[in-house]
Parts: sequence; C-alpha cells; structure tokens
Amino acid sequence: MATRREGVPHLPLHGVLVLFTLFTLYPILWVITIAFSGRQNLAIATLPSEPSTMDRLRAITPWPEVWSLSNFTSVMTDQPFARWMLNSAIIALGTTVVGVFLACTAAYAFSRFRFPGQRAGMMAFLVSQMFPGTLMLIPLFIILVQWLGLGSSRLGLIIVYATTSIPFSVWMLKGYFDTIPKDLEEAALMEGASVGRIFWSIILPLAKPAVAVTALFSFMTAWNEFILAATFMDQEAMYTAPVGLRFFVGGFSQQWGYFAAGSIIVSVPVVLLFLFLQKYLVSGLTAGSVKG
Amino acid sequence: MNPPEKTPPGLRRPRALVGLALALGLGLVLAYSLLAQALAASARQSDQRRDVITLNALADLVRRAGGSGDGVRAVVSSWQSLLPQGSDVRVIAFSGIRLEASTFSEDQGDKAAPRRLAREEKPLYDRGQELRRAVETHREEGGARKPELADQPLPDGRRLLSAPVEVDGTVVGTVELATPAVPAVPPPGLTPALLAFFLPLLALAALSFAPLRRQWQLVAVAAVAFVAGLGGYARYSLNALEEGVRGSQAGVADQLRAMSERARAVMAEQNLATEPPLQPGTWDSDIYRRPQGLLTPEGAVNEVELTRRVEKLRGEASRALLGLGALGLALLLFVGLGGLHRLVATVVEHRQAYGYIVPAMVGMVVLVFFPFFYGITLSFTDANLYNTNEPLSAIWIGLRNYQEILGDFTIARQAENGAWVFNYLNFYWTLFFTVVWTITNVTIGVSVGLLLALILNTPNLAMRPLYRVLLILPWAMPNYITALIWKGMFHQQFGVVNHVLRMFGGQGLSWFESPFTSFLTALATNGWLSFPFMMVVSLGALQSIPMELYEAARVDGASRWQQFLSITLPSLKPALVPAIILSVVWTFNMFNIIFLVTEGEPGNSTEILVTQAYKYAFQRYRYGYAAAYSTVIFGILLLYSVVQNRLSRATEAT
Repeated sequence: MATRREGVPHLPLHGVLVLFTLFTLYPILWVITIAFSGRQNLAIATLPSEPSTMDRLRAITPWPEVWSLSNFTSVMTDQPFARWMLNSAIIALGTTVVGVFLACTAAYAFSRFRFPGQRAGMMAFLVSQMFPGTLMLIPLFIILVQWLGLGSSRLGLIIVYATTSIPFSVWMLKGYFDTIPKDLEEAALMEGASVGRIFWSIILPLAKPAVAVTALFSFMTAWNEFILAATFMDQEAMYTAPVGLRFFVGGFSQQWGYFAAGSIIVSVPVVLLFLFLQKYLVSGLTAGSVKG
Repeated sequence: MNPPEKTPPGLRRPRALVGLALALGLGLVLAYSLLAQALAASARQSDQRRDVITLNALADLVRRAGGSGDGVRAVVSSWQSLLPQGSDVRVIAFSGIRLEASTFSEDQGDKAAPRRLAREEKPLYDRGQELRRAVETHREEGGARKPELADQPLPDGRRLLSAPVEVDGTVVGTVELATPAVPAVPPPGLTPALLAFFLPLLALAALSFAPLRRQWQLVAVAAVAFVAGLGGYARYSLNALEEGVRGSQAGVADQLRAMSERARAVMAEQNLATEPPLQPGTWDSDIYRRPQGLLTPEGAVNEVELTRRVEKLRGEASRALLGLGALGLALLLFVGLGGLHRLVATVVEHRQAYGYIVPAMVGMVVLVFFPFFYGITLSFTDANLYNTNEPLSAIWIGLRNYQEILGDFTIARQAENGAWVFNYLNFYWTLFFTVVWTITNVTIGVSVGLLLALILNTPNLAMRPLYRVLLILPWAMPNYITALIWKGMFHQQFGVVNHVLRMFGGQGLSWFESPFTSFLTALATNGWLSFPFMMVVSLGALQSIPMELYEAARVDGASRWQQFLSITLPSLKPALVPAIILSVVWTFNMFNIIFLVTEGEPGNSTEILVTQAYKYAFQRYRYGYAAAYSTVIFGILLLYSVVQNRLSRATEAT
C-alpha cells in the first residue's frame, strides 16, 4: 500500500486522528473533571448572568476550577457506595467461581467424551444465547423473587449470572480443550489415573490461560451488569455498584459529583482488564459468529 | 431402538408392573394432595364466610346505632354473648380518633372504651382509613379493585377482620372482629387411594399369567388398569369435593339465619333504626363487600347458583385430573415399553460424561430453558402483578396479547383540530424506530470504524499505538456509565453540549422534548461507544492483507481507488460481515443506552422493542403482555438469523 515516498501525506491523517481522539476523550475527561471538582454540580464552571465567549469556553473546558478529592472520600465514606462495591465484588467473584467451575466440567465432557445428546447439548447452549433478555427477565423475576424469595439477595444474582454465563464460557473452553493433544491423557490412563484426576491434574493446568481469560470475562460481565441487578435488587443496601451509580443521578437525584467519582472507581479496573483482554475477545467473538 | 417384541420374557412382567405402580403412585399421590388442598380451601372459605357474615351483621347494627356513642356500646355488649368462645370485637370512630367499644382483653380496666386511641394504636386508625379510601375509590370508579374488608393474622394466632361503618354514605369508623384460629380440616381418608392403587396392581399381576404373547399387549392391559384405577379415584374425589362444598353451605346458611334473628332482637331491644329494612343476604359477601350470591336474602341456600359454582369447580378439577392421567399414562408407556430401561442403561454407560455435564445442565434447564418456555407460556395469559398466584389456566387468554400487539395498526390518528397524534406505544412505531436506530448506528459504527482503521493502517504512522489505545477506550468503559455521562452532557441547562451551541450563538436545546433530538442523543452515545469494535475488527483484517497484493496491483497500474475496491474491501469482508451481523443484534438489543439516556422520552417515542417490553413488565406490570411482546422480539431475531444464515450460505456457494 502507501509507502512514505508515494503515499498520502501524514499530516491530514494526524488531523483526523486527533479530532476523533478528542471526541473520544472528551466525555472521559468530563467525568474526571466533575469527579475532582469537589462539587455535586453538573456544570464544570458557574457562568455569570451575562457570559462572554471566554466564560462559555471555560464552561466546556474539562478542567476543574479547583482540584479536590472530597467527592472520592465522601462517596466512599458518607454514601453507601463502599457497600455497593462490596456487593458487586462478592457477586462478581461468586459468579466467576461458580460459572467457570460449571463451564470447565461441562466443556471437558463435551470435548473428550462421545455420548448421546452431545451435539444437541452444544446446540442448546448456542441457541440459548439467542433468547432475548426481556423474555427471560419476567419468568426469572417470578421464579427468583416470587417463588424462591431471592429478591434483593446476592445469592440470587450469583445464580442467575453464573448460569447465563455458562454457554459462552463452555464454547470458549471447549475450543481450547480441543487443541490439547490427547496423548497425555492416554498415557495417564495407561498409568491407571482416573478421569477426575486427569481433569484436575492434566487438563486444567494445561488450560490455565483459557480458564483465566474465561474467568476474567465472567467477572467483567457480572461487574458491569445493570438490568438484572436493577430489577432484582430493590433494597438500597443490596444495590450493586451500577444500580447505585444510577441511583445518584436517576430520577430527581442530581449527585453528579458522587456519580463521577464512583464511575471512575468502578471503571478503572475493568478498563485496564479490558485493554489487556481485548485481543481474546475479538478473536472469540468473530470466530464464534463465523461458525454460527 | 429395540423392537418391543425382543423384550426378554423374564423382564416383561416386572416392567409392566413397575410401570403401573409408578404411574399409579404418581397419579394418586398428586390427586390425593389436590383433593386435600381443595377440601381445605373449601373449608377455609366457608369459615371465612361465616366470620364475614358475623362482621357484616355487626357493622350493620353499629351503623344503625349511629357509629358512635352509648348505642354502639349497648349493641356490642348484647352481641358479645352470641360470639363463639375466644372472639373479640372493637369499634373505632374516626371523629375524635376514638375507641368506641371493645371486648379485647387489653382494653379493660383503665384502658376501657370509650377513650381516645393511643399513639401506638395508630395502625388501627390507618387500617380504617385504608378501607375508607377503598370504599370511596369504588364509589367513584364503579368497580371493585381494593378490598373493602381487611383480613390479617394476629400475633396470638387469631385472625382479625375489619369492616368499614358507613353512616349516610360516609365511612365514619370501623368494626373489627378477632376470631379464633380455624381448626385444621382432617385430611381425606387414605383408604380409597390405597384401594385405587392396589386393586389394579393385583388385577394386572393376575392377568399377566395369561398367555399374552407380546409386551405391548401386557402394557395395554396395564394402561387399562391404570385408567380404571385413577379414573375410579377421580370419580371418588370429585364426589367428595362436591359433598364437602355442598355440606358447608348449610352451616353458612345457619349462621346467616342465626345472625339475622339476633340482629332483629337487638334492634328491637335497643330501639335502633329499622329503615332501611334488614337485608341479611348481603352480609354473605366477598372482601369487596359484593354479595356472594350463594344464599338467598332469607338465608336459604341458593341451589341454582350453588350448582353453577360446583359445576365450575368440578370442571377445573376434572381438567387437572385429566392432565394427571395423561402424565401417568406417558410414564406407564415409557417404563412398560422399556424406555426407562434403555435410559438407565445409557446413563450408566456414559455416567462419567453425564456426571461432568449435569451441574451445568441443571443450572441451564432451571434458569435458562425453563424460564424461556415459561415466558412463552405466560405470553398466552393475562398475568400481571396482582394474579401471579393464580393457576395459568385461570388467566389463560389465548392469542389475545398477540392480537393486541400485532393487530393494532393505528400508529397515528388525526385529532379533531386536524393535527396528527402519534400513538408511540404502538408496536409498529417501536419496530420502525428500532430498525432506524439499528441501521443508523451500524452505518455510523462501520464507516467511522473503517475510516479510522484505514488511517491507522498507514505504514510508519507516528504514535500509532497511542491512538489505538485511546480510541479503544469507549469500548472498554462500562456502557451504563457511558450512557449516564452522555445523559449529563445533554442536560438542558448545565450540559456541555448546550454550552457549545450557545458559544456559537445558538440556543440551548431541550434535547429530550422532541423525538428527533432525543433520538440524536442516543445516537451520539451509541456511536461513541460502538465504533471502536468495528475499528479493531477492520484493523485486524487490514493487517493480515499481504503487501504483495498491492505491489502486484501497482505494477499493473491500478489506481489507489481501484486497489481499495478490488483488494482491500474483499479482504475485509470475511472479518467485517460477521462483525456487522453481530453488531446488528447488539444494537437491536441495546437496552442500556435507550433505557438510561432517552428513557423513552418524550412520551415513549424513543423506546426500542426491548426497552418497551421491559416497561410493559416492570412499570406497567403486565407480565403476560410483556412476555408476548418479548416472544415477538424473539421471533424477529430468529427470522433475522435464519435469513442471515441463508444469505451467507448462498454467498459462500457462489
């Protein structure tokens, strides 16, 4: 393609890139500004009654008038946000442990055994990914909240998140298990190892990278989930971080400072995780849909 | 599958017998518990009716006594002797928030009525006010929506019933009656069920020695025995149920007559108002104070109405028993013809594989597949917040939800002044909006993503990794946070977007007050967060195109545009097409952005299908309707994936 000698000049390209980067960064800088402003206000700067163009420019420049950490300290201490983060962390960790364990065993069976119902089982997992969320939400609400009484409980959300994460995890893990050569297992079988032992001491250690990636995805999905949590958790003490953040700025509540500080605390870990994981995600997603 | 003839002779008899035993056992246990429940419900109901009659009669007398004052106390004290052991009565008047009369043990001595209610007794007053509101609501609306009688358990195990006292059309107080706990109804006898279990089994055992050549013949005999056994028990239980219901009517009627006699006596004794004349028949009411209609005004059993009710009950019970029969028969055939045997054999043979899968599968079945089918079933009912405890058959409405959703084409109608009024709740409007939303978003995502990928793919471009990381950030941010941030930036008064507009001399817009600008806010938000995915996918595909192709093209004298059309685009296709397919589904289902940014404003005009379904379920509490709505969405997605599969197969073939 274009080389430096005959290619397009780089300057206009940089121009376009800088423009888009600014567009990309602006909302992020905005939320950082609000978070460090030390106020609950939605506006970056207070405007005089007859604002000049410079005043207007000040009001859109994402730079706080005064830098202050007070939003961060008070959102973690005065507000129940620390508790909501704890809920989110417990739920996301529980989801990861339960979901990945179930997915590992199922994926191993799908990968290594031949049995009646194997194809049907994998297809069922795939088809279940197409069920629309709202169609599931109503029965899940009735089952979990009205029948089992698990409304506003962490356990209920863990169970739901874990099961809904299974199909994706199973497909990802099965793909990886398939690439592990069977020679090792056959050798172990000759030595008299049981299937359980082979699974725990040969397959799982070999599949560590795939298990880790799957676990991180489960964690991120549970950490970022909003709809189910908003539907099932109606006691304020049991909110997860997403529901809590919405609580700060939803309805008539306008605590933008708390929201911004909370958003930053919540997003930094997942953004870093995501940047680390994105290459697995892209290959996994597109590979899956090409097959499907 | 083995032909049934090949069943080894030694297995035939046990299989048929085990099948019959299992089927009958299951059927009879369920039928027995159904009967026990129905009888208990019927007994509870007649108990409640008796209490309600007592309460209504008392309320009637209190009303005649004026609702407060010495007359009320006289009525209560002369009534007390008639109450069963352990019952208590109290009368509360709203004016002055007073306890007018009470026989409760805690209201004796220095707390004896009449007195003002204490602060901690506020719930009594509140309960009365709630009943008053219910009565007034019903009078305004002409319907029955909230209970006009309260019924709640007391800490000491008794039940407390409350009724409003109406004087001259206004509710002036309440009468409350505490009644002793209902003794548990003895469960129906076990003997008929045991007979219905063992007789068919013995018959089958005896018959199985007859020279029956083939397994299916034996199974057919077992099926007949099953039908006879369960059918016999069904007949017995229907009769027992009818007897129970009819028997309890007489008790209620006696109560009504006793009450009306007593009431007349008290009226005469206390010189109470005799106008309007006493109507004891209306005392037998439901919790909305509508007459049950099971008793005539004189207090005799209304046979016509009773027979109608009994028939309805019998119909419901027969349907349930028929379902049980079908279930049991299926089980019998399954076991008798060797299905169970084969199933067990398969499971045992592959027990390791199944052992590893079962935990995940159980979770999936309980929380994914069952809810899915339950949701589809709900879509044929009128389920809502208030009737979730009713059996599905009671709220079954067939295809009416679907008719209502799909059959309504009036998106807009002309108002009287000639202006067009849109019905934004209409399904086709929401569908149209969803399609526009999906197409615009995917177009923006693909074009911006592709443009940036092409630029980033320029060789030797400075700071390329930095750009890449920064441009990918929107995808990494949790999307509900993105949505809330943009919602803030589009704020009418303080939002930065309006500040920019004002800086350039424009007016700040109320973004969420017109459907179009509201749509733009959601579009901006979703555009911001969706282009990085397309960019990353395109970039990956671009980097895998071998440079030699371009060099060869240049040698052949192709222009840059020709190179783009005949090399770049075709090489992008395998990666881009799946990405587009995926992003269409994502955008179609992009709940968070719409739900959090536009919230459907103004007036539900910017809902997409999934948010609309959610609002039907969790803001309007029409679960059945929302389930039907979601099923339609599922149908659309299914259609989309089928068409897309066909298309991709067709293009692969050529």
